[in-house]
Amino acid sequence: MIAVTVDGIRVELEEGATILTAAKQAGRWVPTLCYDERQAPFGACRVCMVAVEGAPKPLPACTTPCRDGMEISTEDATARRVAVSVVELVLSELPAAPAAHTELAQVADRLAVTGEPRWPGTVHEVEHDYRHPYLAFEHELCISCGRCVRACDEVQGAFALTATGRGFGANVTAGLDSGFRDSTCVSCGACADTCPTDAITEITLLDGLERNGSREQRAL
Amino acid sequence: MSRNLVELIRRHHGVQAPSALAVLKAAVEDHGEVTDEDRKRAAELSGVPEAAVYGISSFYDDLLVRRGERHVRVCTGTACFAATGGTHVEAVAEGLGLEPGERAADGSVSLAHTVCLGFCHSSPAVRDGDLVDAGPDAPARAIAGTCADAPEPEWVSLLPEPVLTRPGNWSGLRRALDELGPEGLLSEVEAATVRGRGGAGFPAGTKWKFTRAAQGDEKFIVANGDEGDPGSYIDKYLMEQNPALVLEGLALAGFAVGAAHGFVLTRSEYPRSKPALEAAAEQARADGLLGPDILGSGFDFDVTIVEGAGSYVVGEETALLACLQGLRGTVSARPPFPAERGVFGHPTVVNNTETLANMPFVARHGAQAYADLSPDSESNGSKLVCFNERFTRPTVYEVPFGMSMRALCDEVAGGMRDGRSIKAVQIGGPLGGILPASRLDTVFDFDALAAEGCMVGHGSICAFDDHTDIRALAIHLLEFGADESCGKCFPCRIGLRRAHDMFAAEGGRGLVSRERFEQLLETLELGSLCAHGSGMPAPLRSLLAHFPDELGLK
Repeated sequence: MIAVTVDGIRVELEEGATILTAAKQAGRWVPTLCYDERQAPFGACRVCMVAVEGAPKPLPACTTPCRDGMEISTEDATARRVAVSVVELVLSELPAAPAAHTELAQVADRLAVTGEPRWPGTVHEVEHDYRHPYLAFEHELCISCGRCVRACDEVQGAFALTATGRGFGANVTAGLDSGFRDSTCVSCGACADTCPTDAITEITLLDGLERNGSREQRAL
Repeated sequence: MSRNLVELIRRHHGVQAPSALAVLKAAVEDHGEVTDEDRKRAAELSGVPEAAVYGISSFYDDLLVRRGERHVRVCTGTACFAATGGTHVEAVAEGLGLEPGERAADGSVSLAHTVCLGFCHSSPAVRDGDLVDAGPDAPARAIAGTCADAPEPEWVSLLPEPVLTRPGNWSGLRRALDELGPEGLLSEVEAATVRGRGGAGFPAGTKWKFTRAAQGDEKFIVANGDEGDPGSYIDKYLMEQNPALVLEGLALAGFAVGAAHGFVLTRSEYPRSKPALEAAAEQARADGLLGPDILGSGFDFDVTIVEGAGSYVVGEETALLACLQGLRGTVSARPPFPAERGVFGHPTVVNNTETLANMPFVARHGAQAYADLSPDSESNGSKLVCFNERFTRPTVYEVPFGMSMRALCDEVAGGMRDGRSIKAVQIGGPLGGILPASRLDTVFDFDALAAEGCMVGHGSICAFDDHTDIRALAIHLLEFGADESCGKCFPCRIGLRRAHDMFAAEGGRGLVSRERFEQLLETLELGSLCAHGSGMPAPLRSLLAHFPDELGLK
């Protein structure tokens, strides 16, 4: 066992445990977007930045292993500044604000990311895929966090999803960009369950009552 | 990197299956584009699921453009920018009547951008099929369909006894096998402090030690020949002019860490590299220097040469390993480091090709002789540097560390051509800082350059002359940064696009908020997953420091 402090709170952990695990154990909040405790750490969103005493710059909590005696600060000003900027960048690539119940909206809210983005620019093109009876994919809401791809790979083992493109053009698709129905998708819904922006959602019978116009037409 | 995908690939590799990327590359060579039939075939042959194959086919430059009978690629590297300001790119597009990424309606010709062809000594460079042409008239030949292979210049060593520019003769491996043994060799390499030549400067001996100590029956060595840095043609020279030295370094690494197989990942932008390395490997096998029981020592070692498909970030070691296994060339968070989980999940050393080319000398002559190569510097060994076309005598030079940048630029490379003067010099590739002419007394070594916000990097020395538009240079650098982001981490994926757009706005003339731009640079520096996102701000910081009045800031 090793011991670290998180914001002054001492916790004991197994060797190899990450800073994020330590923070959770200490009851301290660290913002995350690409993290899902059911999946291997990915280190893509860079929102979980924290300060470690003696480290020259902030470290990602989800992929950094604890070392015995580490002193971790979750609210370090520099680390938090990076997290806020990254969330602001992510919001700026969406054509519309994410729904209030989504993880992205909640993280943005808690970090008080509001108002006009400092770096406005191109947003994702709207592209809706409603071909599957139970899964809807609204590609413009995808932030390439990789959670759906990893859920399909690591949890379900169906390998129906992949990251696509690169750079700002990165996104996710099913099969040979052919939609869920013409892929190896087994309709388990693990992707929709983990999606932090509602880019992938499960279609329910109540959908027609709750969703917007385009969805209603499809559901009917 | 998905462990499941790597495990699928490992099992298929065991039965000699090709990688998904290799199948897709072959499809493009065969019929000019990747179809869904090709993707299904790649999935079937490689064992990689269809969706993942789709992801691979949407990642690499070489797989994205439908090719005509003639496929013309125009170099958008930094040396070509320094030569023409980018006019050659527009000229070829106009001459062919195509936008980059387009194929003519009659299928006769297609056009794409490429960074970089490694003919930085005679920019601008163009490519028609596998013919790489360069020089002021090359764009016109690309339009007319009359390209010819450009000549390679001779390299020059400033050392009394060349080390890296001496043809490899396998004497280092012979001494390691006869006298040193694996642990003796490792001790020499650690004592020599061979710092990585690919950019990060990490001591190679430390990587070897970790991999030697790692648990695992099977281990691998990978030579990183993905010299994507625009303006750099050093690894190209090593792989094409001195491939035996690289292979000897690879075999030495294998001997030291206990690996029986090595890979070299070459760039598809350098079509001559893979054949040169394969010919050298064939010769070495014939001479008993590669293969089973090398020189009767009981040491088995062989190599495979793999060619990439167009992506700068594949030069990062985790992305390199993904590409080598035929996957999307995106970066993975470390740990696990390659020393623990690399090729097929086994412990792996990833060294730059030039780093490996240093090892035969260390093995043959020892750590002290290696340190003595650069008597005026704390950095050990020699370094290959290369100069761009703006210089009077641009080629690859082998130099000791410790010379001033001014001596290198003026005395070695002969200063600027055509009566021009140096405005600024970018050292070590696109992630390297930029020195203004007034700071050329800075010493060329790891520590002195770092103190100026610069780095040795790959060792390219790319000068911008007094006619250079600094704002256009900023846009050039950021366009490269945004285009080549692998898309994995959020700061780089979105931030570099935004940084580019800030400067490119309003036809490249809109005023840019310095405060907001610097906030964005900080986010990139502190937030990015790999050196692409965290390093791209370095040259921009240099421009902000030395040329603020030319950037159009507010």
